[in-house]
Amino acid sequence: MSVYDFTVKTKRGEDKSLADYKGKVLLIVNTASKCGFTPQFEELQKLYDAYKDKGLEILGFPCNQFAAQDPGSNDEIQQFCKLNYGVTFPIFAKGDVRGETAQPLFKYLTAQKKFEGFDMNHPVAKPLLDALQKNFPEYLEGDGIKWNFTKFLIGRDGEVIARFEPTTTPASIAKDIEALL
Amino acid sequence: MILTVFSFESCPYCQKLKRYLDSRGVDYEVRDIELDEEAAKECLKISGDLTVPVTTIDGKNYVLGFDKKKIDALIEEATA
Repeated sequence: MSVYDFTVKTKRGEDKSLADYKGKVLLIVNTASKCGFTPQFEELQKLYDAYKDKGLEILGFPCNQFAAQDPGSNDEIQQFCKLNYGVTFPIFAKGDVRGETAQPLFKYLTAQKKFEGFDMNHPVAKPLLDALQKNFPEYLEGDGIKWNFTKFLIGRDGEVIARFEPTTTPASIAKDIEALL
Repeated sequence: MILTVFSFESCPYCQKLKRYLDSRGVDYEVRDIELDEEAAKECLKISGDLTVPVTTIDGKNYVLGFDKKKIDALIEEATA
């Protein structure tokens, strides 16, 4: 079993087999609109621009499970969201990424690479952890996706190489991508 | 129609704003900037960005985000 065994839905509702990406280095990300916590679209786009010609593909999977929920009433968090535009890597159909209703791809990915904690040096780590403990403590249990912009790095042979939490910036994993290209 | 709210589905602050307007019994029209290209263009024209919620009476005077005080002032203006 590998990521190539999974079929996902495009934005238009068509089936897309991940086997179509055989031989590429993949970064699979659950995305969300920019609403305060961990907006990483620009940085992901920069990675894509830098490495797509060398064989990197970024696959974005929008998910409402986190975005649709108010991350807390913290006044320091902006009270507005920005629609993403200017992103040129593929964005698939909206779907769940955690819990019983999670897409099979994400069940597989989270089973392959466990949750190993947030990088507490990241400025958003503490407010994110606080918000989770306060509002969704169950999210912190187990290996399920904790929040938007969890990233899975897949090698050219389909092996799941690494999992990066929302508290790891896309820019900081450039070296991990380079190592696989 | 008193107010126009530019928003998109997965924006929690848009939902919060709509709930607030509902609670105040204010009549408003929702324009989804993700699904409706025309709405996105109009939103860009009003605020110069695709940041929402944007609440407006006339397309000139607008409030960005869920800012209760500013929204209250806008409602007052709209119902005056």
